[in-house]
Amino acid sequence: MQPITLTLQKRDGTQWLEKLLSLGEVIAPVHGSGEDVIFSTAACADAVLWDFVNPLHPPKRIVLPQTDPLVKIKDNGQGHEVEPIYDDAPRILFNARSCDAKGIAFLTRMHEMEPADESYLRRALRLTVISLACTAPCPLGFCVCTNSGPFLSDGYDVQLTDLGENYLVEVASQKGHATVSCAPSLFRPATESEIAQRKRLEAEARNHFGEETCHFASAMRRVSTGRVSDALWQRISDWCLECGACNFVCPTCYCFSVKDLGRNGGWVRCRMWDSCQYTAFTLEASGHNPRPERKERMKRRFFHKVSAQYYQRDAMVGCVGCGRCIKACLGTTSMPAVVNAIRKGKWNE
Amino acid sequence: MLSVSTTCPFCACGCGLYLLAEPRELAGVAPSETHPVSSGRLCARGWGAHEAALWGNRLKKPLINKHGTLEIASWEDALDCVARRMTDLIKAGKPVGVLGSARATNEENYLACKLARAGLRTNNVDSCFNRLCAPLLAGLEDVCGENVPSACIDDIERSQTILLTEGDLARTHPRAASSVLKAVEGGARLITLGYLGTQMARIASLHLETAPGNEGEVIDRLLAAVLNLRLEDPTWVAQHCNGLDDLRRAISSTRLTDEASQAAERLARAERAVILMAPPIGHPNQARRDAAALATLAALTGLLVKPGSGLLPLLPRSNARGACDMGVTQGYLPGHQPICDPCAQQRLSDLWGQQLPSADGLDAESLLQSVSGLIVLADDPPSVLPIGQRAMAALAKIEFLAVLDSFETSTSRMAHAVLPIASFAETEGTITNMEGRVQEIHAATVPPGEARPGWQVLAGLCARFGVGVSYDSAGDVLNEIGLAAPQYARREQRMPDKVWGGQAVQGLNGRKYNLRAAGVASLPTDDRPTLLVRDEVFDWGSDPLISYSPTLSRDSQSQRKLFPKGFVEIGKPYADELGIPVGRQVRLTSATGQAVLPLRLRPGLKPGVLVVPFAFRDHVAQVLGADGVTAVRLEQA
Repeated sequence: MQPITLTLQKRDGTQWLEKLLSLGEVIAPVHGSGEDVIFSTAACADAVLWDFVNPLHPPKRIVLPQTDPLVKIKDNGQGHEVEPIYDDAPRILFNARSCDAKGIAFLTRMHEMEPADESYLRRALRLTVISLACTAPCPLGFCVCTNSGPFLSDGYDVQLTDLGENYLVEVASQKGHATVSCAPSLFRPATESEIAQRKRLEAEARNHFGEETCHFASAMRRVSTGRVSDALWQRISDWCLECGACNFVCPTCYCFSVKDLGRNGGWVRCRMWDSCQYTAFTLEASGHNPRPERKERMKRRFFHKVSAQYYQRDAMVGCVGCGRCIKACLGTTSMPAVVNAIRKGKWNE
Repeated sequence: MLSVSTTCPFCACGCGLYLLAEPRELAGVAPSETHPVSSGRLCARGWGAHEAALWGNRLKKPLINKHGTLEIASWEDALDCVARRMTDLIKAGKPVGVLGSARATNEENYLACKLARAGLRTNNVDSCFNRLCAPLLAGLEDVCGENVPSACIDDIERSQTILLTEGDLARTHPRAASSVLKAVEGGARLITLGYLGTQMARIASLHLETAPGNEGEVIDRLLAAVLNLRLEDPTWVAQHCNGLDDLRRAISSTRLTDEASQAAERLARAERAVILMAPPIGHPNQARRDAAALATLAALTGLLVKPGSGLLPLLPRSNARGACDMGVTQGYLPGHQPICDPCAQQRLSDLWGQQLPSADGLDAESLLQSVSGLIVLADDPPSVLPIGQRAMAALAKIEFLAVLDSFETSTSRMAHAVLPIASFAETEGTITNMEGRVQEIHAATVPPGEARPGWQVLAGLCARFGVGVSYDSAGDVLNEIGLAAPQYARREQRMPDKVWGGQAVQGLNGRKYNLRAAGVASLPTDDRPTLLVRDEVFDWGSDPLISYSPTLSRDSQSQRKLFPKGFVEIGKPYADELGIPVGRQVRLTSATGQAVLPLRLRPGLKPGVLVVPFAFRDHVAQVLGADGVTAVRLEQA
């Protein structure tokens, strides 16, 4: 379908959300405990936040849950019956930030590759992503370096931009169209000046990125040509505590392990988030581990994230610049810190 | 998709997290970004906190031993059976006891304490982790008059100097280690003290190396350096400390070193400094003296009064502090009141409506080996106590063993009555972290089968022993705790932060500090003996929250499979010096016995030291004495 650009009056936001709540589960930034903001099922329209710093835990679990039931296995006496588990529930991810919308688009491309992952794709196909463009950089974000924000040109179904009195509503897909056509009276076509204002806001936002940026190009050259010394990886690895948070909060990480869960006399085969930084991630049944040392695992992680080989395959680095790993890292080895060390060949010197 | 805010169930840092649940099934974990302890950071264990409750072998129905096999029973029958069997043993004059747990909530531990002291009328109540906590906290109390931490995890990150007596902080308390890393990155000086070349030792600006079990000697050198360099504030010390002259005498022959002087200066001259104190290794008496000497060092260098500075004991497991506070410890009633204190005795007798026993109780290890009737709450003594398999043998001799747990363990398999309780993910309650912060845990799902919240089951047992009170919720139990343990009273009003829970244990001002030295440990005096040391870093692989988690159990399971006979670790330089190829079987011989097991490399281990992981302690039980360090002869088998 042709993209269309509409305008929604801010005061009608709640009414629109009420309509959306009747279409399916709406997952949005809401208040958690204390000052926390988390992505969770919105119980009502008023619970949804419009002014917030992006939650630390990304919404990727909507399409890729930490514990993801894939198939039911039953022993029928003669053999094993296998029945796939599909989650076809319609869901709307509302007020996701650009980086997260881009992250889900990345994951979907990845799971579409042959052999396509139907379990993932069914969830992703029923998910409508309504993103809220960032008119100011968030405290730790560096999405300008990864081409995943502050505004998006693709990767969303609907993109909202805060124009002050109104929201500009860019509808890019059929799924997006369904979310506005359910409440046609709330929207009107956007004016030329509103579209111009959006462009101005994007340019302004881009100019406001501060020091938290991450220069991938030269790091990519060094990683791809093997010019990062083992000694450097060794030094960096002492500043990692192997928590796996860099993987778990990363909107683009998707590595997993598989384990059967006993239920109702049979089993449910589950895919579970795993971390390439864990010692046992590459542990083989024989007890052999091809990457027993942390420095080897870190090297592998950054090769996957920023090497030319993967850039060519994925058309982007494995990072959307959300900055979550800076906050969640138990050590000091976040994406920008390590990319910087790779570029300069130095760590804490 | 449900997100329930709760507290991490693993180490004593007490990080905040959300349990994520789909209807009736746990699905994952999310960090809590503004939690005052964790501020959005979780370790691998925290990230896998949902797994054990989901995947574990859960106890689902009450079971009673009938004719030699465990059979399903109703809750009423099971509780009646426990009451009847324990009563019969008491009437027959046989000793009985209760083990509480550092993995149970405050409410559960409090009721376990009440059940033992008021219901069963015995002071035989302890928890297996107290062997590590008790010397640490007692040493602190010897100096400060109370066992209260004077620093919190948040202070670490803002310190200029950090002194860490190193177990292996990166493995034991990752969130605290995180603060150390961030502080060092920001320019703080880290001084580590210990026998292992750990990750923290590698990033330290100064590593004070000791022989295992000989940490006290180095701590005394630090004390000597402080006094020698006159780093203490003499006026303050004169006003607030006792025993300075005795301390001077005790360390008069201590050798001064440049390293110790440098460390003492860093500690005393910093505007903000913290001492992180891991459970010391070696004999409990020496461990207590080492802890007291560290508290003395903190007092002399002004850390106990400088804002943002202080001493933080690193307790091993999530609710180790809470279990002590609840009176699940030898010699103390709830609120850390000595059992011999007549006022405390009277207050609790009034509250519980029962005269309290006055005879001293036994510690966990002795209790296990001498009682005829035992109730174990959420613990597995064979995997936690150093005596390992001997604990198993002791359990087998017990006439009546009742176990309350969420998970099947080696202990629950030997029980005569099994009472299934809700895991941390399915119950309400509080746990107290090592800082003394009382934090809430909340249910994200329902317990499996007929399992019930532990506080309900314990309340049912209390009622059968005539000390029952009808509680409607875990909150009712907490209210009663406030009456029993003054530190927990009016908790809500003292909360600095209404959402996250407040500090229960707070320092009482106006006391004088009693200065003490560690006293040099007596080590074997041969010419550089080879020392075998049991690694006291808790074997998480044996904890059901790890062993039942598919993601977290892989390393420990693989090690157990690959090394069914265990192994002993050696540093590369020492292996080269002795000319023993790594991977080969070696024979260890000590004064008490010998063992043969494979040799493995461990980076950072100095010559003369061999380490056996806690998980494999049974394989060297004949060689290793009770203290955990012994001189051995090593030869190729």
